[in-house]
Amino acid sequence: MTPRFGWIFNASHLGLLRAASWLAPASERAEWLREWRSELWHVRRERTAQRAVSWQGEREVTLFCLGAFRDALCLRRHAAIHERRTEAASASPVQCILCMALVLIASFTLSLLLPGVRDANEASRGRIDPGLILIEHPDSGTNSKATVSAAEFDGWRARRQRYFDRFAFYSIARESVTTAEGNALWTVAHATANLFPLLGVPLRFSASPAGADGSAADAILSCEAFERDFEANPRVAGSMMRVGRRLARIAGVAPCGAWPLPGKVDLWLLQPESAVAPGTVGYVVAHLTAAGRAEMFEPNTSITAYGAGDSEIDFVGVALQAHTRVPFDFYRFALLLAFLCLPAVTSVSMGEYSFNSHKPSWPRRLCRWSFLCAKIGLLLPIVYYVPLDLAWWHISTSSFASEYAQLIASFLLCLFGMRWVLLDQRQRCPVCLRCVTHPAQVGHASRTFLSWNGTELICMGGHTLLHVPGLPTSWFGAQRWLYLDASWDFLFAGSSRAGRT
Amino acid sequence: MARDAAAETKSEARLSHTAAMILQAIHAGYVYGFGIMEMTGLPSGTVYPAMRRLERDALIRSQWERQSIADAEQRPPRKYYRITAAGRATLEASRKRYPLLERLIPSEEAKSV
Repeated sequence: MTPRFGWIFNASHLGLLRAASWLAPASERAEWLREWRSELWHVRRERTAQRAVSWQGEREVTLFCLGAFRDALCLRRHAAIHERRTEAASASPVQCILCMALVLIASFTLSLLLPGVRDANEASRGRIDPGLILIEHPDSGTNSKATVSAAEFDGWRARRQRYFDRFAFYSIARESVTTAEGNALWTVAHATANLFPLLGVPLRFSASPAGADGSAADAILSCEAFERDFEANPRVAGSMMRVGRRLARIAGVAPCGAWPLPGKVDLWLLQPESAVAPGTVGYVVAHLTAAGRAEMFEPNTSITAYGAGDSEIDFVGVALQAHTRVPFDFYRFALLLAFLCLPAVTSVSMGEYSFNSHKPSWPRRLCRWSFLCAKIGLLLPIVYYVPLDLAWWHISTSSFASEYAQLIASFLLCLFGMRWVLLDQRQRCPVCLRCVTHPAQVGHASRTFLSWNGTELICMGGHTLLHVPGLPTSWFGAQRWLYLDASWDFLFAGSSRAGRT
Repeated sequence: MARDAAAETKSEARLSHTAAMILQAIHAGYVYGFGIMEMTGLPSGTVYPAMRRLERDALIRSQWERQSIADAEQRPPRKYYRITAAGRATLEASRKRYPLLERLIPSEEAKSV
C-alpha cells in the first residue's frame, strides 16, 4: 500500500463526519462539524504514519469518527429536551400575556418614534368639526372642481344666514414662489384668514402673526412643501418669501396626514375676507348653525341660495368629515370586517362539555374568562398599532396606499389574531390555564361510525384530558374536557397539582 | 449552608465515574477532546457526549483558540475546555466518592508534589 491512498481514507473519514453532522441539530451543526474536523486532523496526525498507510492507525481514526454519530445523537437529545422546556415555558399563561404585552409596548413605542405614524396620529387627533361643509355647484362632479365665485361668497357672507354662521373661501393658482433656497412654481391657495381657525386644524411651528401694516401676508406651508423644499427645518417659521409680487411671511406649517379640503396645495396665502379678488372662482367652507346641523341628514345635502334678484341657485353641501378618514376609522372598519369573518375561519365556541359532572370552581372559571379577555384586550391595541407602524412608517402625507395597507393589515391581523386567541384558549387546561400537550391519536378514522376516533391531549399538571374528535359527528361534535380525579395522581407524582378544583 | 450541602450532594450524585474522570482530566490540564480520550482511554463516542453534558451543566466551558495561534502552527484551530468554579466544587465532591480518581489522573498540583 502506498501513501497516495491516504487521501481516500481521509475523504472517507470526512464523509463519516459529514454524515454524522446531519444528526446534530441544524443550529449547532456548523460548530459541531468544525470541532470534529479539527480533532480529526490531530487524530490523523497522531495515529497515522506520514509516509505509509497504517491499517491499525486508519482503523483507530475510523473508530474515532464513528464516535461522532453518538455525539451528534446526544446533542440532538439535549436540543429536544431544551425545546420541550421552552415549549413548557411558553405554554404558561403568564408567558403568553407577557409576550403579547411586549409586542404591544414595542409597536406603541415605534408609533411614537416613526415620524409618519406620529403625523397620522396627529391627524386623527385634529378631527374635523362635523358642522363644517364644503359648498359647491351640483355639476362640480366627484373631483370637487372650484365652482363658487367670489361674488357668491361675498353675498353669503354679507347676508344674515339661518343655517350658516361662518364662511371661508379659497382659490387655487400656480404662482412663482421665491424663497431663500431659490425660485419655483408652486400651487398656491389664496385663502381668507379665517380658513384655518374655521377648520380647527392646529398649525405646526407657528410664528407670531405678521405686522399689521399689511406689508407681508401670512403664509402656511403644506407639510409636503415643508419637507420637500425646507428639509423639515422648524426654523423656517417666521422667514420671508415672495409669492408672485407679494411679500409673505411663513406663519406655520399645516399638519401632515389626511387633508380634508380639495386641491393639492403647496402654500396657503392668507388674506382678509374683504381682499378676495372679484371674479375669482374657488371653494367655500361653511360652518353650520344648530339649525343647519338639524337639517343635515346626510353627508351630502342640497342647498338653495338666493342670487341676484332673489333667483334661486342650487348648491350641494358636502360634510368635510365624510372627506377625511383617520387611521382609527380604518381600524374600526377592519375590526368590524374581521369579527364578521371570524366564524368562517374558526369555531367561536369554546366547546367544553365535561364527560363527568365535575366542573371547575367559580374562581377558576372566572380566571379562565379573565385570561381570554386579557388576550383580546391586548390583541385589539396590537391590531391598531402594528398595522399603523407598517402602513405609515415612511409616509408623512395622506396616501391611499398607506390607508389601504393599514386596512388590510388590520383586518388580517385581527382575523388571524382572534383565531389564534380562540384556538389557544381551547387548548388550555380550564384549571391551570397551561396548554395541554402530548397529543395521542386514538381510534381509526375508518371506524368513525363504529367508535370514537380523534386526538387526546393531557394537561401536564394532571388536571384534565382533552378529547378532540377527528371527524365531528352528531354525537361528538365539539372537543370535550375530562377532569382527572385522584386515581390519576400516580402518573403525575413529580408535578404540582395544587390547582385541582 | 444546608442548601449548599444539598446542592453539593445533588451534583455529586449526578456525576458518574466516567464524567468525574473526564472532569478530573480537564482539571489536570487535558483541555482537548482527543487529549482526554488518550488520557482516560475512553472512546470518542463516550468522551464528547460526556463533555457536552458537563458543559450543559456549567461544570466546564468551551472556547475556540485564536486563529492566529493555529495559523502559526499550520493546523486547524481547536476547541478547548476549561473547568468552571462549579466544576471544581463538583470535582472536589466526586473525589470523595471516587478516591482513586486523583491517582488515575493526577492533577498539576499533585504531580508537582
